[in-house]
Amino acid sequence: MKIEEMSFEESIKKLEEIVKKLEDEKISLEESMKNFEMGIKLSSSCLKKLNEAEGKIEELARSEDGKLITKELNLEKEN
Amino acid sequence: MEDYSILKTKVYTVSELNQEIRKNLESGYPDVWVEGEVSNFYFHDKKHMYFDLKDEKSKIRVVMFHHSNKNLLFKIEEGLHILINGYVSAYEKRGEYQVIALCARPVGKGALILAFEQLKAKLEKKGYFEYEHKKNIPILPGKIGLVTSTGGSVIRDIILVLKSRFENFHLIARNVNVQGATSSNEVCDAIDDLCEYGVDVIILARGGGSLEDLWAFNTEKVAEKIYKCPIPLISAIGHETDYTISDFVADRRAATPSVAGELVILNKRELVKSLRIINRRIRSLVSSRINIFSKEAAFLIRRRIFFKPETLLDKFSQATGELKIRLVENKKGLVRVKKERVGDLYRMMDRRNIIKRIYIHKIEIKTSYVRMFSAIRNYINQKKSKLKYVLGKIDERNPSAVLKRGFALLYSIKDNKSIKSIKDAKINQKVKILLKDGILKVKVFDKINKILELGFKNEN
Repeated sequence: MKIEEMSFEESIKKLEEIVKKLEDEKISLEESMKNFEMGIKLSSSCLKKLNEAEGKIEELARSEDGKLITKELNLEKEN
Repeated sequence: MEDYSILKTKVYTVSELNQEIRKNLESGYPDVWVEGEVSNFYFHDKKHMYFDLKDEKSKIRVVMFHHSNKNLLFKIEEGLHILINGYVSAYEKRGEYQVIALCARPVGKGALILAFEQLKAKLEKKGYFEYEHKKNIPILPGKIGLVTSTGGSVIRDIILVLKSRFENFHLIARNVNVQGATSSNEVCDAIDDLCEYGVDVIILARGGGSLEDLWAFNTEKVAEKIYKCPIPLISAIGHETDYTISDFVADRRAATPSVAGELVILNKRELVKSLRIINRRIRSLVSSRINIFSKEAAFLIRRRIFFKPETLLDKFSQATGELKIRLVENKKGLVRVKKERVGDLYRMMDRRNIIKRIYIHKIEIKTSYVRMFSAIRNYINQKKSKLKYVLGKIDERNPSAVLKRGFALLYSIKDNKSIKSIKDAKINQKVKILLKDGILKVKVFDKINKILELGFKNEN
């Protein structure tokens, strides 16, 4: 599974697995390097995901023709 | 028709009496409250309810028609203590009197609480609260759906919490009435809309209130909508001590709406910190592993096997040497064994004096040979002597020898006959005379008859 397609959760889970693998003394040099590369890639991608999320506050409603539309939420009015 | 005019009192027909009784009952008891235990409960086609209300001593028939029972919040069940309000009447056709109940409520408990308990028990039986059915709330949802009143304070609280943990979140709010008659339907539609639009998590949120205020979130239709919702859903209704059916069915309960905000999104700072820690940990683990490996490699390289790979062979040459020795030993051994065997056989043969016997035989053969040779030699010698003697004898008679002594041989020339006597020749016969050194050809002119004796000198 490509790193970009992994959800945040899956990435974090995979990272924890990698740390566990690296802590195992029986690991070979080759395996260490592979896991290292994967781990760094994953953590970078996670950080990227965190920072690139878009901030928006919207309201969902149905238009006259029954379609779902979003509009910016106006919180000024009180009930 | 019979003539009952002689009787002073009225004679009723059955229908007339029943009708009059009904009218009397209705006017005598137009508004009664009756309390009792429900028994013989019969809900005909889920329309009209027929049951008895009883106490320790007696019972009374009750009917609650559809238009009265449809708005009951709780279920009338066998054994339930209820209080009904209505009027007394009669079912004319059968001459039975009954109470027509217009409304009912449970005794000892609020209708709402009872309804709550009844629904909770029912849904629990259906498995709506089961842990295995609940979905996980995503750590970092892309879109957060919120069902609440956009005019209320709850939405602000949630937004504040979200902002404090994560700057750039995407929230999609769907406004509903969180109480009132239309609330439960609106909540169901809101959940449908958010599912259709597509969010990663849904929060149902409203602030505190009475049981009636919160009632929409205790209805079966909202419970079913939450249960069937494919998106993870958090129920955040009322205060910490308020528990609603939606809380039990949802994938997660938040004690307050603010807690819901904390549940849906992790603290970004903390997340970033965790990731950095993981990153560092991975690097340090790998570098320490590389360290170990390079130390091992260095150690290995220093070992003789790399300097002098021949040392690898040492082991083998030693082994081969040993094997060689063993091989030779074995061969020697084998040879020795064979030798011993031969020796044994040899000795065995000696014991039978074979060689002696061969020797003896050889001697015998040699002796025979010698004897044979002697015999042959003797024989040959004998024959040789005899031959020599004969040859000598022959030699004496050899005419050449005779001739050598001066004698002559005579032959007739004519027929080459030898002439040994005078009778063999005539006068004037031509004769050949052989002497030691040639031939004389003569003619006989005279013959004398005289016998020669030894000593030739006697001549006359």
